[in-house]
Amino acid sequence: MTVPKDRARVQLPPTTTIGRRAALGLAAGLAAPFLLPGRAEAQAALPDVTNVPDILKGRGEVRVATFGGTMQETQRLAYFEPFERLCGIQVRDVSGSDSGKVRAMVETKNVEWDLCQLSRGTVLNLQKRGDYFEPVDYDIVDGGVESQYRFEYGLEMLVWAQVMAYRTDAFKGAVPVGWKDFWDTRKFGGERALGGHTSGQTPELEFALLAAGVPADKIYPINVDTAFASYDKIKSEVVKWWDTGALPVQMLTDREVTMTSVWNGRMAALQAAGVPAAISWSQGLLKRDCWAVPKGARNAANAMKFIAFSTMAVPQARVSLQIPYGFVNSKSVEYVPAERLAILPSAPEIKSQLVPYDYGWWVDNRDAVLARFNRWLLT
Amino acid sequence: MDGVATVLAGAGAAVTLRGLEKNYGGHGAVRGVSIDIRSGEFLTLLGPSGSGKTTTLMMIAGFEQPSAGELLIDGQSMLGVPPHRRNLGMVFQSYALFPHLTVAENIGFPLKQRGVPKAERMRQVEEALRLVQLPGLGGRNPRQLSGGQQQRVALARAIVFRPRLLLMDEPLGALDKQLRETLQLEMRRLHAELGITFVYVTHDQEEALTMSDRIAVMENGQVAQIGTPEDLYDRPANRFVASFIGESNFFPAVMRGIEQGRVVAEFGATRLQALAGSLPAAGAEIMLTTRPERLRFVDGAPPAPGENRLSVTVREAIFAGERCRYLLEAAGGTRLVLKEASGAAIRRRAAGETAEIGWAAEDTILV
Amino acid sequence: MSDASLSDAGAASPPLAATRPARLRLGPLAPWLLALPPVAFMLAFYALPVLGMLSRAVLDPGWTLVHFQALGDDPVFQRVLWNTLYLAVLVTLGTLLLGYPVALLLVRARRMAPLILLLILLPFWTSVLVRSYAWMVLLGRHGLVNEAMLALGLLDRPLRILNTPLATQIAMIHILLPYMILPIANTLRQIDHSLLRAAAGLGASPWSTFRQVVLPLSLPGVAAGTLLVFVLSLGFYITPALVGGPRDTTLSMLISQQVDQLNWAYAACLSAVLLATALVIIGVFAKICGLGGGAFRMSAR
Repeated sequence: MTVPKDRARVQLPPTTTIGRRAALGLAAGLAAPFLLPGRAEAQAALPDVTNVPDILKGRGEVRVATFGGTMQETQRLAYFEPFERLCGIQVRDVSGSDSGKVRAMVETKNVEWDLCQLSRGTVLNLQKRGDYFEPVDYDIVDGGVESQYRFEYGLEMLVWAQVMAYRTDAFKGAVPVGWKDFWDTRKFGGERALGGHTSGQTPELEFALLAAGVPADKIYPINVDTAFASYDKIKSEVVKWWDTGALPVQMLTDREVTMTSVWNGRMAALQAAGVPAAISWSQGLLKRDCWAVPKGARNAANAMKFIAFSTMAVPQARVSLQIPYGFVNSKSVEYVPAERLAILPSAPEIKSQLVPYDYGWWVDNRDAVLARFNRWLLT
Repeated sequence: MDGVATVLAGAGAAVTLRGLEKNYGGHGAVRGVSIDIRSGEFLTLLGPSGSGKTTTLMMIAGFEQPSAGELLIDGQSMLGVPPHRRNLGMVFQSYALFPHLTVAENIGFPLKQRGVPKAERMRQVEEALRLVQLPGLGGRNPRQLSGGQQQRVALARAIVFRPRLLLMDEPLGALDKQLRETLQLEMRRLHAELGITFVYVTHDQEEALTMSDRIAVMENGQVAQIGTPEDLYDRPANRFVASFIGESNFFPAVMRGIEQGRVVAEFGATRLQALAGSLPAAGAEIMLTTRPERLRFVDGAPPAPGENRLSVTVREAIFAGERCRYLLEAAGGTRLVLKEASGAAIRRRAAGETAEIGWAAEDTILV
Repeated sequence: MSDASLSDAGAASPPLAATRPARLRLGPLAPWLLALPPVAFMLAFYALPVLGMLSRAVLDPGWTLVHFQALGDDPVFQRVLWNTLYLAVLVTLGTLLLGYPVALLLVRARRMAPLILLLILLPFWTSVLVRSYAWMVLLGRHGLVNEAMLALGLLDRPLRILNTPLATQIAMIHILLPYMILPIANTLRQIDHSLLRAAAGLGASPWSTFRQVVLPLSLPGVAAGTLLVFVLSLGFYITPALVGGPRDTTLSMLISQQVDQLNWAYAACLSAVLLATALVIIGVFAKICGLGGGAFRMSAR
């Protein structure tokens, strides 16, 4: 399960990603002194999409549900606008993408979205219960899109990491590396926050295992008992099991915690705002967002064209230049300067430190783990 | 009933107002009121709305603080004493019964504040209910009672703790005429039985005349005149009092002098005599007044000594049962009213007739 | 007693009766006809969807009560229900204790009343989210409250308030305070001023007047405010999620989790419990206070 960047109803100030509701914009204003949007730096030099295959051109519209917030603005600049201009199809983007809504829309045959931003885990989980998505039309998808991002009912289009972040001013210069250090509250004092499980998130059992000394390549299949035994050791230090991406960043900013897990894209803004905080890429989880087309979508053909367009080399690069998330098209490398490449989760020296999130294991075990997590936390 | 009255009876409080003033943002609602209210007296503050009567009452009660002046109850200054320490009863026009309490609880309220034990309280409440002739209604909710009954309850509540002073602010104002007259009599009776001092506010002069030992007529925040009902009626001190209490005829006249202790003045070409009050200089413009029922048609009978005579034209004749009422016009256009007992009339006059009227100089007042 | 006064004894409150006849001309059906559109609206857009949602609790996969039976020995559910009820009770008490004096002040203050009202209503114009945020800023370890107490020497190291149940309680009390103040102020305003004078004149001290007259007469407002705040508290979601402690999951949060995890039958069960709790509370209040007659009567006179 994945990415739900911000599926939460509770939305913290969108910094680099998402924000589910218009009302949330107010929150951004409030927290502005702490978290300044940090995506402006790369905007000046976005490469232009110069030509598109005729097969991607068309008419009419495509209704796209995203996770909202500033990520939606990034997406508008990166590929909604060029797609409208070059392919002649209007993009009507709305925020609030959510698997529950997809389920309700498909079941009531009132499908209001042609395309939505979800995660592979969410798509597979829903698909387990019935037929909720259209298969992706891979005939028109760019050859540069690596096969690991392709699956029958969706195409992944954004690569990001769930990593450890800490306050650099908290440990007198000591640098925590990996989850063993995170769990070691004597050496690295202060309170912690970790990911909870609302909003499509899964609890970070992987981190618990890594802290318990399980090697990165032996994590899956997850030994749930070992993971919870490891969780027991940190439970009393965790002041928040966050369920929305802005919370850990806010708590780090406000010095409520010295260490937390975060979505890597959020940290750029934090650092740009001068907060003494850093990411430890070591033992992070590599995750992805995908596009999926709800079953029975009116403009499914346009949605397929959009999927193909947005995963082309240049549109993908235009995202990574605005926000430090990786691309899925291997040819995008040509459009991203080396110093920018180095801070993306897809950069080789970063990627090698990350553990790929196993969507398959979680699709099979999610319900049982979440129930156990609730029991473990509350009783 | 007598037993109850004896229990509740006690000497009334004496209240002294000395130069009492109340200003609201520069506007003087009460401007120097001085009254000595005697122990056990029924004193009415009478005046039109805005005359300051209610404000004066509220200062006695302690709900308003005087801007200047002194207020004594039984010789003790009340300035700065909060209302709940003044130990006086109060009845409002709106009854002000507590809607969440029963009739008995309402009446018991002041006793409860004074720490009277419950059994004793219930006994006294029942006595008070009998005193206001509502025995057995203690269990009712005030809302279930008629307006008259509610005001009796309010009265019972105001006297049950035997205050030495009872203040009433237009208590009968919300009741219809018949009920009002009944309750007026009862208040007189209560006053007589209890012997406590009543200070009563009303704008109804008839009510004031019926009930009061003395009346203080108020105008523009000041006492225009204070006296017994007879004093005010027969010897109004000024034109305001003369017109506010009862009906009056006014004769604008020119002062001519004093003869045999009487004021002599000229009303147009007619010479009139009046009781001497103040003594204006000869030639001054003065105003004489007399009551309509003191005028009578004389029809050429020789004038008695000291009788005023005047020729008039009948403008309108109104038969009103026990009496007839005539609207007359004197030379110069002055309008007069004459009331004549129907039985005493020599004959009915018709509109347009000319007639001669007469009245005694003693009934003529210089105001 | 004289005949005259007895004769009017039968007619209760003549002044009230006198004002009545003019507005009843439309006929007895008029109120029902007027209420029809909103009732139809609520049926179509609220009651039916709610029923549809609740039906999932007993129709997944076929007719079954197994989801409800499971709640009986579900320790997570019991803990969450307890959290929710405990929080609602505490928040209701808090708003009552803080709100009543404010309501009194609002009614007593003459020239300042509009300003006070504005201050009370001001938070209404910002979202619950933003207000919850503001509390994060205030209550944080390095927030205003802690910094102030440190500066005053009341503490030697910052207190942990944020991310504890106390933070949820404080923030929710603040957010829900207007719902307590306004109904109480409404009933206080309706209290005839002469009653207070009567009480004082009859020898009641200001405190006795408050206790024996003002307080009892304001109880309908207290009941309305209590009910509103309690029922609203039951459904609170954002604030506990943002400022609460790690274990302070409320029923709404659990429902949201379950919807998210596509466990719709379980979520529907929880919603049914939440709705039933609210209805029971409303029912109890209606029984005790007579809702129709007292608590929500906007103007007594």
